[in-house]
This record gives sequence, C-alpha cells and structure tokens, in this order.
Amino acid sequence: MTSLHPAEAARLLVETPERGGSVVVATVVGDNQCTGNRIALIVIESEEPELQGSLSLKSGTDSVIQLMKDILENPRASDGLHELTIADHLSEVYIEIRRPVQELVVVGAGHIAQPLAHLGALLGFQVIVIDDRPEFATRERFPSAEKVIRADFSDPFRETPLHTRSHVLLVTRGHKYDYACLIRALRMDPPPAYIGMIGSRRRVRATYVQLLEEGMAHALLDRIHAPVGLDIGAETPEEIAVAVAAELIMVRRGGTGASLKGVERIVERFFKEDK
Amino acid sequence: MTHDDDRSLTQALEAAREAGRRCAMATIVATKGSTPRKVGARMIVDPDTGLVGTVGGGCGEAEVIEAAYRVIETGKAQRVNVDLTDDLVSWSPAVCGGVMDIFVEPVSPGPS
Repeated sequence: MTSLHPAEAARLLVETPERGGSVVVATVVGDNQCTGNRIALIVIESEEPELQGSLSLKSGTDSVIQLMKDILENPRASDGLHELTIADHLSEVYIEIRRPVQELVVVGAGHIAQPLAHLGALLGFQVIVIDDRPEFATRERFPSAEKVIRADFSDPFRETPLHTRSHVLLVTRGHKYDYACLIRALRMDPPPAYIGMIGSRRRVRATYVQLLEEGMAHALLDRIHAPVGLDIGAETPEEIAVAVAAELIMVRRGGTGASLKGVERIVERFFKEDK
Repeated sequence: MTHDDDRSLTQALEAAREAGRRCAMATIVATKGSTPRKVGARMIVDPDTGLVGTVGGGCGEAEVIEAAYRVIETGKAQRVNVDLTDDLVSWSPAVCGGVMDIFVEPVSPGPS
C-alpha cells in the first residue's frame, strides 16, 4: 500500500458521509521524509474500521493513526493542523474530518417547503422533498434539494426510508396528510433524529387526540416538535422557515432557543445605573 | 468546505487523473487574522483547464497559482505563507488583513 492519491481521498470525503459513516484523512504537510503522504480512516457503523493508504515510513505511522482516532472521538473536532512527532521528527499533519450526512425530509412541497429546502441545504442537510402532486414535486421548485420525490402520503417514505440521521418536517397541505405521515414516522425503529409538524395549537391538539385513540404511547407524543419552530413571531413562509431552521440548529447543537441578550443580561450584570 | 465543494473538487481531481494530466492542489491548512477563506478551503490548479475552487479570490491567490506551477514542475510539495496584512490599500474587493498557511502538493496523473 502507498500514500492515498488526492483523488481517492477526496472521493472518500464525499462518499463516506453519504454512506452514513465518518472519515478522517491525515496528510503530512510538515517538512518530513514523507511530506505529502496521505492516509484515511473510515468508520461505518456495523463495519470494521478501515485504513486506506500508508506513509512511506518504517515506523511512526502509529502516532498518526492514534491522532486520527482521537479526532473521531471528539465531537467538536474540525479540519486543521496538528503537530506530531513522526519517526522521531516533529512534523505537522493536516486533518480533515467528515461526519455522516444529516438528512432533512420535507413532507409537502408547498410554499413553506421552498424556503425550508433552501435553508436546510444551506445548513448542510441533504434535503429530500416529498409530495403527492407531480406539479409541486418538481426539481424546478426545489433546486437545492438532493431529491424531489412524488409519493403517496399513505406511504411517503417507501422510496427513501427514514433512519437515525433523518429530520422529518411535516408541512403538507392538510391535517389528514400530516397525520398519515406522522404516524409512520413515529413507528420507525430506530426513530428519526427529529420530527416536526406544522400547525396551530388546535390542529396539533386534534392530531394528538387522534394518535392516542390510535393507541400511540403517550411518551411518543413528546418526541414530536409541534407546532414546529422557535417563537420569533414568524408570519411569512420565509420567516416560518427561519424559525424552523433555528429549531433544527437548536436540536443539533443543544442550544436553548432563548435570546442571547436575555441569557447574558450584560447591562444588568455589568452596567447597573446608580440610583 | 461544504459537501458540494467536496464533490466538485473530487470531480476535478478525477477528471485530471483520467485524462493523465498533472495538476496541483492547494489547501489552506491554517489562518491568522481575517482571511477571505477559512481552513479547509481548496483549489485545484490544472494547467490545461484552469482553476476549480478558490483559496481567496484576489487576495494572494496569484501567489498560490505561481507556487502551484512550481510544484507541478518539480513534483515536490510546498508550503506557501500568504501575508495579506500589507495589502490593505489595494483596490481588491477581497481585501483582508490576515495570514494564510497553504499546502500546495502535486497531483500525479494516471493510476496510483
């Protein structure tokens, strides 16, 4: 085995996250006898970790592999330079990391779905849009979506099964369609990362009554984000999409959704007026 | 780098490789201060087809392209330090005041 070719490394960075895996590529960029050498560590759930490429060194590869493993373990790790002793020489290794692609499944291709699909793509989601109306489920309406699928709402996820990296947004044109898709999403095992459903308080309540009547466990109701989005007073489709996108970020990063001004209270804490 | 950036770079690298063309790849590996692109930004310099991606538009990119041609000729990787701090008076819209540490490496043609 020799150093991984840049084209092969680039392909791994693209394809591994699409297969639901993580990949770390290490390139020796410091002055060293193996400058430019590249190796990759690929970790796909339920498969043995795989190492591709090698450094043209008799020894010292172990320290690079250990660094790659540490990077994988660290959820906050990002691309960057690391100093490392390779074969008794202090050198620099450039690390690239890609995690599994997160998916945003927008069910319903109406006027809210369009800005949602855009924002989702902007946030790095692979966006899938589903609608039963062929005139709405078109590529032209959703240029930033990965896939636009025409499917019946009675079985919306047949073509693109949900998984633990799926974020499902129910924004169909009618309550009964949202309900039909919701019940399917809730029954997924393992469950998707996020389920959000649009609707007024009344509509959400009616849906929950129906779910309980259907025999759905009470605990499952709490998993649904409904009404969807953060409370920022959103009214237009674009504003609603921003509120929903903000909630997706909040779930992903573990934020509170509160205004930072209120969290930090800088005036109150540091600039008290003398009375 | 977004998934789409990754994808277009992969396509450029594979196209060059299949056509048997020698090219160079520049990667920002570290930055200091304010720079137009961040760590991870990449550019392929393919003498036959031009540039794919960018490491910062007007700001110092010429320096990187020059280095890329040297790298293609010698087949040896190079580190390029692009200092943008003395560029503040230029008329470039991409004016900025940081330093970029860029790794420029040869990309060999044909099968590895």
